[in-house]
Amino acid sequence: MGEDALDPVIHTQARLRIMTTLTALPDGDRLTFTKLQFLLDASAGNLSTHLRRLEDAGYVQVVKGHQGRIPSTQVGATRTGRRAFEDYVAQLRILLTPPTDPTETQEER
Amino acid sequence: MVEDTPLDPASSAALIAEQRAKVEAATDVDGRILFGAWGVAWLLGFGLLWLVNSGRLTMPDEAAFLAFTALLVLAGALTTWHLAVKGTGVRGASARQGAMYGWAWFLSFGVVFALGVALDRAGATGEVMNLAMTVASLLVVGALYMAGGAIWEERIQWALGAWICVSTIAAALVGSPQMYLVMCIAGGGGMLVAAGVEAARRRRPRVL
Repeated sequence: MGEDALDPVIHTQARLRIMTTLTALPDGDRLTFTKLQFLLDASAGNLSTHLRRLEDAGYVQVVKGHQGRIPSTQVGATRTGRRAFEDYVAQLRILLTPPTDPTETQEER
Repeated sequence: MVEDTPLDPASSAALIAEQRAKVEAATDVDGRILFGAWGVAWLLGFGLLWLVNSGRLTMPDEAAFLAFTALLVLAGALTTWHLAVKGTGVRGASARQGAMYGWAWFLSFGVVFALGVALDRAGATGEVMNLAMTVASLLVVGALYMAGGAIWEERIQWALGAWICVSTIAAALVGSPQMYLVMCIAGGGGMLVAAGVEAARRRRPRVL
């Protein structure tokens, strides 16, 4: 068990930051595309590409709506996405915990 | 957003912590600002009302009341601005919850205002009006703080609401003008203590 156990959909700088941002909100909350872009300091094109990848994996939901007459896209983490992120963080914790005894190998976990 | 620089577990953890802090700074309602603003407004406002009503400071009643109102309006404007900034771009469940809670405040104070009109029409004296309006307003504040604490599971906010209710009971029992001193020290002071507790809570480091 090593770094390859980390979910490849999340384990890139860009997508890890997107997932961290969306899961930091309470369940059921979404961010407007503009706000997400601001929080990530990302270009619209770059963000769209990564969101599509996360949407394909079922981790985020992109809702296209309107705010009055102005089109407004909203993005939120799905249940699956939240679970995947929790697993990712749990996996990170394991990788970051130094083994206490060299004879106690990974089978312990 | 830099694309796909290789991540190792330690930099992943650092990135999560950094991004969480950024999101929190941008979206989290800051109790230090809200409790702090209202604490100062109550401390100065009720303090002034006490000084004038107990004859320690000579000033027209209307001017003192106007200054008190101006302080509350300032704190209210700061609250509204803060909530608007933190809520920008956030949609969904908590936005709806926040809007419902906001309406609860607005309508409750509408009722307090109507009570004032009704008492005045019924021929209430200035003393009765002052008592009723002060206690009714504080009832709304204490009750809605407790409700807010229950809704968002925020112990500090709930405790502050409970403390305001207890202080208001004391204020109502001692009556005018000492009730203003009670609300200045216990009410305004309580708010500032809550702001301090909130500040201490935020200094505690969070783990992954």
